[in-house]
Amino acid sequence: MSAYLRLAGVNKTFGSFTALGHIDLEVEKGEFVTFLGPSGSGKTTTLMVIAGFEQATKGEITVADQSLAHLAPQERNIGIVFQNYALFPHKTAAENVYFPLQMRKVGKKEGMRKAEEMLELVGLAGFAHRLPKELSGGQQQRVALARALVFEPDLLLLDEPLGALDKNLREQMQIEIKRIQKRLGVTTIFVTHDQTEAMSMSDRIVVFSNGAIEQAAAPLDIYHRPATRFVADFIGESNLLEATITDAASGKAQSPVLGEVTCGAEGLPPLTDGQAVTLLIRPEHLKLSREPKEGRQNAQMVIETIVNYGDNAVVIGHAGDQQIRVRVPGADVVILKEGDSCHFSWTADAVFVLDK
Amino acid sequence: MNTLMRWIGIAVVIFIAAPLVIVVPMSFSTAASLQFPPPGYSWGYYQQFFSDPSWLRPAWNSIYIATMNTLLTMALVVPATFALVRHKFWGKSFANLMMMMPMAVPHIVMAVGYYSYFGELKLVHSKLGVILAHTCLSVPITFLVLSANLKGFDLTLERAARSLGATPGQVFRHITLPILKPGLAISALFAFIQSFDETVVAIFISGRDAETLPRKMFDSIREEADPVIAVISTLLFAVVFAGLIAPSLIKGLRRMAKGTPSK
Repeated sequence: MSAYLRLAGVNKTFGSFTALGHIDLEVEKGEFVTFLGPSGSGKTTTLMVIAGFEQATKGEITVADQSLAHLAPQERNIGIVFQNYALFPHKTAAENVYFPLQMRKVGKKEGMRKAEEMLELVGLAGFAHRLPKELSGGQQQRVALARALVFEPDLLLLDEPLGALDKNLREQMQIEIKRIQKRLGVTTIFVTHDQTEAMSMSDRIVVFSNGAIEQAAAPLDIYHRPATRFVADFIGESNLLEATITDAASGKAQSPVLGEVTCGAEGLPPLTDGQAVTLLIRPEHLKLSREPKEGRQNAQMVIETIVNYGDNAVVIGHAGDQQIRVRVPGADVVILKEGDSCHFSWTADAVFVLDK
Repeated sequence: MNTLMRWIGIAVVIFIAAPLVIVVPMSFSTAASLQFPPPGYSWGYYQQFFSDPSWLRPAWNSIYIATMNTLLTMALVVPATFALVRHKFWGKSFANLMMMMPMAVPHIVMAVGYYSYFGELKLVHSKLGVILAHTCLSVPITFLVLSANLKGFDLTLERAARSLGATPGQVFRHITLPILKPGLAISALFAFIQSFDETVVAIFISGRDAETLPRKMFDSIREEADPVIAVISTLLFAVVFAGLIAPSLIKGLRRMAKGTPSK
């Protein structure tokens, strides 16, 4: 199966500033792909290049093997939901949704009927004749979504659409957007800097940094098998430790902080003896105890801070110069004190290896 | 402190409103010249204004000149404002300065300039001359009002419209223009009032053929202190007042028709 959306060697410079280095990406039809990265990493620029609001300096973009190069934004048939929704303030919800149909010469009667159907799909059946300013943030969001979908676009682009909503509404809209996307089967690109949002919604996450793609993979692959140190650091919490491979065949490494470590996580990259690497152990894979634990690898640390979240807590300590973060169940926190010395332990399958 | 402020406020309001309190009653006066308080009241001077060609002709001149001035000003200022607010180009700050210039230069200086310059061009004593001069004077205020509106315009709306299938022309017609309509209406109103109200330049260059209402009033008060002036002042005030409250009045009526209470 060939890719539906393809970016090949897309490069974008503004004067001497390189916004996008060399972007290669393929997206399948119907896929929900999230662009994740800090601000200024190139994710929104990539979106704007796909939409046609920015011209790529080099490279090619195709949808269903048709080049977009010579198409103006209005000829691309791409639905976009903007961060601030960009609803037309002088038009009612239904007129906003009718607008793309009006531009496609659909008659008023049929167009308004379709617009109202679409509003119903996004759960706004009774709100067709309200002006945007008479709607709440979440409702405006739904109108923007309906407007971007009503003309059956080839692609749906969402540019940090949930940024302005409060936490509960955000989660509700995440589920809602996912439901509608699945139902219509539209190929979707979702831009966000919120990793939990990316984790919960995506078929695949593309991590951006400094105008380049760090990794493009399924959410759990990104989490458990990050390709670079940046990805490991950006996604979830992590303990990153310097080490040198001593025996590649059995996965043995020597770390100044942990001593001899066996690396046994799934999907390890190929290793060579003497290679300088970074070890990744997620905080939830570490356990704390007074005495060393049998059957696990152990090391010692001094507790510095305990951050309580109720159902769980993060214990931050020091082993030599290295900061160690351990996530423990909330009930375990009561026996721990700041300043205590204790052991932390892990098993070989929790240790993943990154290139230095 | 609070009471003191309140009394100062009331004093200021009275001071500002005083000319109206004097002019409106005088327009209904029976006296032969401007006199306050009036000895008696009648519609006499209103009848005189609406039947005397020497008053009606300048009134029509003023309306004609102000209308043409508004059209010309808007035709020049709307594209100029879009260029100055939205685009970067060489000499932009100089262009900005030139747009505001007529506001900084005293009208009497402008008037003298027009008098000698338009004389050469045979534009003195012609409506065209007054229209051109007034257009120049209307540019700054129109530009100020419109650029403030345009700066507040969210460009994402235009991007959204493009992505939804609208050509740049359709975006302007369906999105930009309707959203800017109130701003355009207000800047046009300012252009109209500026011309209708302008006296100094009109005195210098309008002559007998293009005589405007303020000029005629000025001549009349010097020669005879005709109470018709009070009539005109009252009418002008009524028109401007109506223009100012019309938008909120229309809104209120619409809301009543829809039956939804105001927020």
